[in-house]
Amino acid sequence: MDYKKPRRSTMELMMAPMIDATFLLLVFFMVASQTRVPPSFPVELPDSLTRHAFPMKRFNLFIGREGLMSIDDSMLQNFDELEMFLAKNKKAIETLIIKADKGALHGYVIDAMERAKIAGIEDLAIGVKEAPGGIMID
Amino acid sequence: MKDTRKKRPKPEINMTPLIDAVFLLLIFFMVATSFAPIPGILVKLPPPGMPQSSQTPQNLILRISDPDPGVPNGVMVLNENIISVDRLLVAFQAATLKQKEMLIIQSGRSVLHGQIVEVMDLAKRADIKKIGFAMVARESI
Repeated sequence: MDYKKPRRSTMELMMAPMIDATFLLLVFFMVASQTRVPPSFPVELPDSLTRHAFPMKRFNLFIGREGLMSIDDSMLQNFDELEMFLAKNKKAIETLIIKADKGALHGYVIDAMERAKIAGIEDLAIGVKEAPGGIMID
Repeated sequence: MKDTRKKRPKPEINMTPLIDAVFLLLIFFMVATSFAPIPGILVKLPPPGMPQSSQTPQNLILRISDPDPGVPNGVMVLNENIISVDRLLVAFQAATLKQKEMLIIQSGRSVLHGQIVEVMDLAKRADIKKIGFAMVARESI
């Protein structure tokens, strides 16, 4: 009897749609990513139960325990330099986030707020660490 | 006549290394990206110009002295009464609605930032609407 087995087509995995999806994901993450830039000195934020939520942004002002200052990873020597930087980048800064160490002197934070005001920045945020059981406020 | 020419293999681009690189990049960006919002306390600075003098007897006024050597926190005085951190929330909550309009913090420069944030946190929990920092006006900077 003439019996012909049907020829099996070779198994092939369709890679093209997966590669398309991967490229899309890659582009999304490249566009949406905001690289975390830590300062060159340690900063321990104070705890707070009440807090607002801010999207991660550039232009974080770090103030260390010893009074060291940096905007993201670029060190600042004094408050005049801070004021010049803020005035120059005023348009790009929506909200200046001040991340001061809990052991930093309040005088430094007030000086930074004063310089921000002189530079024309009105919206500030004080970075805090979420205390457990915290309350989010509008 | 029999065609004896060799069949040329179809040209193909090897996509495997490219896909490997793309996957590596994807993993890097997925790990490095953070979508978690930053917790913080919103501060609205008054508009530029003359400093605001909103200090009235109706407001809550909290004075914090510079801490003594070896002591982390400065002594706090709320409307002329010395008060501890533990009792501050109750005192804020017991204030009248008029008083809750604004809390003015008069603190020394050497007070630690952690103590100020703690006071701001307690004030927010007691529904105090505005917090102001008293400062001495300078001639020029």
